[in-house]
Amino acid sequence: MIEWSEEHLAFRDALRRFIDAEIVPNLEELEHGDTPPYDVLRKLYSTFGLTEMQRSRGEAVVAASRKADEARARGEEPARRQRQPGGNVDAMAMQLLLIKELCRFCPGMVTAMGVSTGLTGGALISKGTTAQKERWLTPILTLEKIGAWAITEPGSGSDAFGGMKATACRDGDGYVLNGNKTFITNGPYADTIVFICKLDEGDDTPQRDRRMVSFVLDRGMPGLTQSKPMRKMGLHSSPTGELFLQDVRAGRDRLIGESESAYGRGGAKETFGMERTGVVAMTLGMVERCLELCTAYAKERVQWDKPIGEYQLIQLKLAKMEVARMNLENLLFRQIELAGAGRSPTLAEASAGKLYAAQTCMEVMLEGVQLFGGNGYMAEYQIEQLCRDAKVMQIYAGTDEIQITHIARELLRD
Amino acid sequence: MKILVCLKQVPHKDARLEASGGWIDEGGIKFEINQYDTYALEEALRIKDAGEAEVVVATIGPDRTSQALRTALGMGADRAIQIWDDSLSGADSLTIAKLLAAAAKDESFDLVLMGLMSDDANNSLTGPMLAELLGLPHTTGAMKIELSDGKAQVERELEGGSLQVVDLPLPCLITVQTGLNEVRYASLKGIMQAKKKPLDKKGISDLGLDAAAVASKVTVDKLYVPTKGEGAEILEGSAGEVAQQLVGKIKELGLL
Repeated sequence: MIEWSEEHLAFRDALRRFIDAEIVPNLEELEHGDTPPYDVLRKLYSTFGLTEMQRSRGEAVVAASRKADEARARGEEPARRQRQPGGNVDAMAMQLLLIKELCRFCPGMVTAMGVSTGLTGGALISKGTTAQKERWLTPILTLEKIGAWAITEPGSGSDAFGGMKATACRDGDGYVLNGNKTFITNGPYADTIVFICKLDEGDDTPQRDRRMVSFVLDRGMPGLTQSKPMRKMGLHSSPTGELFLQDVRAGRDRLIGESESAYGRGGAKETFGMERTGVVAMTLGMVERCLELCTAYAKERVQWDKPIGEYQLIQLKLAKMEVARMNLENLLFRQIELAGAGRSPTLAEASAGKLYAAQTCMEVMLEGVQLFGGNGYMAEYQIEQLCRDAKVMQIYAGTDEIQITHIARELLRD
Repeated sequence: MKILVCLKQVPHKDARLEASGGWIDEGGIKFEINQYDTYALEEALRIKDAGEAEVVVATIGPDRTSQALRTALGMGADRAIQIWDDSLSGADSLTIAKLLAAAAKDESFDLVLMGLMSDDANNSLTGPMLAELLGLPHTTGAMKIELSDGKAQVERELEGGSLQVVDLPLPCLITVQTGLNEVRYASLKGIMQAKKKPLDKKGISDLGLDAAAVASKVTVDKLYVPTKGEGAEILEGSAGEVAQQLVGKIKELGLL
């Protein structure tokens, strides 16, 4: 893929029209206040027929899962899903376009949407039982219900698996869950939460080495507290919160996969790959918008009787931004091509893309603020918001430092 | 019911335009469907939603205009016609009307809809000219269209905010004012389906015409941004002071 197709551009233009009408006039409340993004996201979904598409997708996943159960009951190996070469190109391109276009104004909105449909929905799709998919999946995919995916804890960020303190203890037919989670996207408002913890078997296995298990929790379960939104540097259109679990009783029907080995490190790692891929599309949207704002400003802003765009120091900034934009777009095209070939990037590959995208986005935004000078530091100009939003790209979905270890580990593997 | 919607692709409302000879420099700017025409398309799609109708969209323009047609197909139009020849660059309204008439003449459309004018050239000529060439009754600036019993009842906007109601027998041609409906978005599914809908590309000879028959009679000499004239005087001060000064100036010039 070397260029967006006519259909892709038609979708992009329609999205831009929607965003101009529904999001841009409310940017202040979404990005400088505490207005949750869910209503406008639901409107976006229904406007573009995504609600229906997601509902069909949910139903198809459930049907396929049921069919696989039946095959297993007959003692057969369930048929693997056949991927049609080229068939995923448009689906992937449209999904990434949606992410990119929203990020021109509200990167947080993509985080809120992606954590709900992609991570929470994704965990159920990949590891849930048929009954669990039937119970929770479709409303999460359509955004009728909001999902959260809880792994990070106050004492375990980069060392998410090893440092995890949250536990599940067997109790009769079910489990008793305890622990605190933090920095949880959608945490304050989530209806459905995937809670990742360690299985405490009551033996003397060190906590670090205990097996990971995951549960699906519902809002309002006794012992589950969801905090108010936390104050943060940027990404305000994505509500972030804490979760507190005190002796939450969960039946085995809430254990993902209904097996203590179904959704452990493997499942979580699959999720990391997906998150990292999405960041490339996010940063492309932000960089595109930054470049648009900066070129317009460079033509308008006059100093010493000349538009500042005529000064080479400004031209250098613009040129570097364009190089970044082209590189990010090419990375995105590669992701789309991979999907078309029925492949997913390896974790190291996804990490390399995410590392580049995050660092580049931050550099571009800082240069954008610099180009705007005093105006760039003022909230009145959108570049200030984009710059604050950019920083989290280097932190969430694995810090830059963690991406580096994943890339290096792959390079140095025997 | 068979409806033709004529649409034009115009520079995007936020595009930075530079005059270049008789027209603008089209390099590097984005285009969109003429706003007036989007309302015409929406009106046609509403008629289709309410009953049985085939909606055909037609445009005259180079390769870039297929994007506008794809969008229209994505919104729900059934098929598209794109007419172009490099000699048509800068074509006048009559040429455009002749080409559209040639494309439409064998199709027996029950209704032809289009915007009152284009956002770029502001002529408001193509609609009435096309109606004449097709021998159809027409009306302009519709704010409301109701179809029943083989006729169209149209509310037209007149100067000063008054409305005029006219009845036309079908087939007819109606140009529409902005704001007569709320234009839908193309859904993702619609856009994907648009890929499979027919988009016919035609040249001048495919329409049974030759270059001489559609040669433009109007040529644009120059397009430019007027320069600020001499003799302007800026009055300064509070609103009251400025008003005082202004009255003084008017009296001084003997205008009152």
